[in-house]
Amino acid sequence: MRKVVIPTQLTESKIPFFLACTLVITAGPVFVVFPQSPAAFFTFLVSLLVLYKMSIPVPLKLVGAVISLGIIMPSVGSENGYYMDVIIQVGIYVALAVGLNIVVGFAGLLDLGYVAFYAAGAYAYAIFATSQASNFIPAAWATFPVSGNWFWLFLLVGLVVGAITGVLLGFPVLRLRGDYLAIVTLGFGEIIRIVLNNLDKPINITNGPKGLTPIQPPALFGMDLSEPIHYYFIVLSIIILIIVVAKRLNASRIGRAWAAIREDELAARSMGINLLKMKLLAFASGASFAGVMGVVFAAKQTFIDPSSFSFMESIGILAMVILGGMGSVAGAVIGAVAVLVLQLQILKELSEYLGQLSAAGVLSIPSQLDPAKYERMIFGLILIAMCIFRPQGIIPAKRQLVRLRERVRDWRAKREGGEDVDPA
Amino acid sequence: MTLLKATKVTKRFGGLIAVQEVDFEIEAGQIVSMIGPNGAGKTTFFNLLSGYYTPDEGSIVFDGRDVTKALPEKSAACGIARTFQNIRLFPGLMVAENILVGMHLHLRSGFTGIIFNTRHVRQEEERALDEALDILEYVGLGGKETELARNLPYGDQRRLEIARALALKPKLLLLDEPTAGMNPKESDDMKKLILRLRDERQITILLIEHDMKVVMGLSDRITVINYGVKLAEGTPDEIRSNVDVIKAYLGEEAV
Amino acid sequence: MPQILLDGLTLGFVYAIVALGYTMVYGVLKLINFAHSEVFMVGAFAGTEVLLFLHAMGYLATLPPAVALICAMLIAMILSGTLGVFIERIAYRPLRQAPRLVPLISAIGVSFFLQDAVRLIEGLWKNAFYLTAPTLFTNKITITPTLSLPVKSLVVIMAAVTMMVFLHLFVSRSKWGKAMRAVSQDQATASLMSINVNRVISLTFLIGAGLGGAAGTLFAAQYSLIHPYVGFLLGIKAFTAAVLGGIGNIPGAMLGGILLGLLESFGAAFLGVATNGAMGAEYKDVFAFAILIAVLIFKPSGLLGEPEREKI
Repeated sequence: MRKVVIPTQLTESKIPFFLACTLVITAGPVFVVFPQSPAAFFTFLVSLLVLYKMSIPVPLKLVGAVISLGIIMPSVGSENGYYMDVIIQVGIYVALAVGLNIVVGFAGLLDLGYVAFYAAGAYAYAIFATSQASNFIPAAWATFPVSGNWFWLFLLVGLVVGAITGVLLGFPVLRLRGDYLAIVTLGFGEIIRIVLNNLDKPINITNGPKGLTPIQPPALFGMDLSEPIHYYFIVLSIIILIIVVAKRLNASRIGRAWAAIREDELAARSMGINLLKMKLLAFASGASFAGVMGVVFAAKQTFIDPSSFSFMESIGILAMVILGGMGSVAGAVIGAVAVLVLQLQILKELSEYLGQLSAAGVLSIPSQLDPAKYERMIFGLILIAMCIFRPQGIIPAKRQLVRLRERVRDWRAKREGGEDVDPA
Repeated sequence: MTLLKATKVTKRFGGLIAVQEVDFEIEAGQIVSMIGPNGAGKTTFFNLLSGYYTPDEGSIVFDGRDVTKALPEKSAACGIARTFQNIRLFPGLMVAENILVGMHLHLRSGFTGIIFNTRHVRQEEERALDEALDILEYVGLGGKETELARNLPYGDQRRLEIARALALKPKLLLLDEPTAGMNPKESDDMKKLILRLRDERQITILLIEHDMKVVMGLSDRITVINYGVKLAEGTPDEIRSNVDVIKAYLGEEAV
Repeated sequence: MPQILLDGLTLGFVYAIVALGYTMVYGVLKLINFAHSEVFMVGAFAGTEVLLFLHAMGYLATLPPAVALICAMLIAMILSGTLGVFIERIAYRPLRQAPRLVPLISAIGVSFFLQDAVRLIEGLWKNAFYLTAPTLFTNKITITPTLSLPVKSLVVIMAAVTMMVFLHLFVSRSKWGKAMRAVSQDQATASLMSINVNRVISLTFLIGAGLGGAAGTLFAAQYSLIHPYVGFLLGIKAFTAAVLGGIGNIPGAMLGGILLGLLESFGAAFLGVATNGAMGAEYKDVFAFAILIAVLIFKPSGLLGEPEREKI
């Protein structure tokens, strides 16, 4: 029976498989040839998704990913700086979405103030990488800004600051029930933003609404790394690290404890799971990712002010997680890419197109209708639509189903083998 | 050997006294049933033993340790595992994962070890999964390891909840109405499973049960609770002929 | 000092009416209706547009200001109430069986959507999304030479008190009010008693949102300047008020609102003095959030609420 079934499955999937291969193989070179074409850019992104979903051996996928992200994207980026910038921004949000996904998706804690940790990391670097720190640290001790060589250390500082902020915020509030926790984290997020806005007196620490600038770019052995391509590789390496860490945590006893808490707190306690400790761990892990990314963001922007860390940012990241699929790392990545491409590409193109139409007198479209201004509406629609029609997201979390199935099969084979030997 | 000793345990909710000065002991290796009408305070007593409630008065000593004020996670760590009257699985997790969650306390992998995916962590995971699959096989859920818990039929969900509790390697297992809602066949299977737990795994079992056939067939001892007060205790035969119990169950005129 | 008291009371009554909307919905659905702040905002816009219309037609000069205000409030209530019912039908009802956080996320979505939807509509219509409501009551009642009460604050307080009295009578005396209380106790049992649960929920949204709309109009009449994002902070504070009083508890929401208004008003006035100038009135929003967090941590059942207990 089996021999009959398997070939038909193969023939059924053969045509899409060839299509997928063709897409994956051609998309990259096409993008290299047409670095200015939005269509080529989208095709390239889609080909990455297809590569991820294809049923080919993992090493092959890795080779494909290395070629696409390690060679094609940077070489196109050197031709078209705009896409480079888009992809770096996408990267920052990918990391944030994966981080928030630990809190919201894995542990089921709705954190509406996630951006506060991002802000903590960003300000941690910005204050010392501008002359700002001279306001409260005597020049005799140290001079500011610190050089860009310190950037690498500050990545760690951002991680620690994020984690500490996470624990400090989490400790009092993580006993609260889910919906209250959501509102309280929202409150904390806003408090952090208001404090950043007003901490220019009595001692000027954050420079208030005026923000901090110029922030030192990273440097390596005295060489400035301020080109987009440098940020690209910095962001890419951090994302890879974050994804690996998130996936490992999820597959471990800690990840299972988070899942248990998400499913049923009461039953989780009867399994001996210490709720507060595990929730703090989730909070701190997610927050530390945001802290690291905050440092990168500050360095890349060279200017930050409190308005970059508004409630809307938190909701934007939440929309990415919900769109991609709560609890799914791949989903968080895809959610972030989709939302940002929509924001930075599709809406912008549409705005420009409508603008051109108005300018040519074909249509008269008031400037108030500029689609690029309606991010909130888009986040809102994403959230509502996903909740109602597809709460599990584009790529639902699959909890290592395949791996576990294989292991169960091994175990059974081992057992049955053993029973054959022993007639009893 | 006395495994658990509760002395004069009282629990009040506002003006209501749910459990009043109950003295209760359980010997290691026994199956003890707790019976009584609905609302008599049996589940409240379970919640007191498993740390969900803290007694207002009295003390609970388990395995030589004072667990009167222990929280649920602490009492689980001491070796008390339980099931719930309304099954509380992790419905969105796979059957095998439910068991693995139950093994949480026995796994030692730390945060850094997990992040670096050390050999120790990988080996521990392998062993844990093997053990989880063994437990599932033992309770008769072999072959359903990768199904989602919520998709299991009712009887299997009850089994899974017990299997999950077994993963804690408990000394005392509290079963809150294990055969509720089961047909006679399922109920009989459950009875056999409970006996095997005691005989093969040396687990002491305390159960709340309404089905008298199950209670009488399983129990070494029976405790009767009514209106939060202990009414009687003894062997099944003693309870069967106890005048107070008959009154409580069947009314005055039945005596 | 009396000025601070009056300001605090006026603000507090606005919080209280908005808080009623949060508390009523929480009572029947156990849902934090995050979009309620936007229902309030829509009410503010509707009321302002009516006043602007009356102004443009020249009626505002001839009509007694009270009539104009009641007119604006009624239209705002109808619009907001209908919107509330629609929101429940579209974004919450399909999610009633979903895990508790899902409807909350949907509610946040609705909130964000409405902010930009109003911005879009006003932008297309007026080419601006900041509106200034015409002033209705300009006179003041002079009590002593140094103390005078602006009539518009008194109007807000009077209107709020009237609505609260009506709501209280409705919930405690009418058949529908009883049904509402039954549904908030236990939906399944209520439906067995032949109460149409869906209709009761719709009614709750209608009333809660209607009150929100009225509050929006009062807010616009009192503070003049409104914009599509005006609901966010006010909504959080009204929610704080509801939690402070005990969420799900109607008198609690009123008490919480008034308390919060007073606390905020006095806090803003004395924060600078108390911290020796280090923290000024900019921190008054932090103040409200801090209260919210403190209440939730130390007394989540609020001043008048019953603690929730999960059945094991």
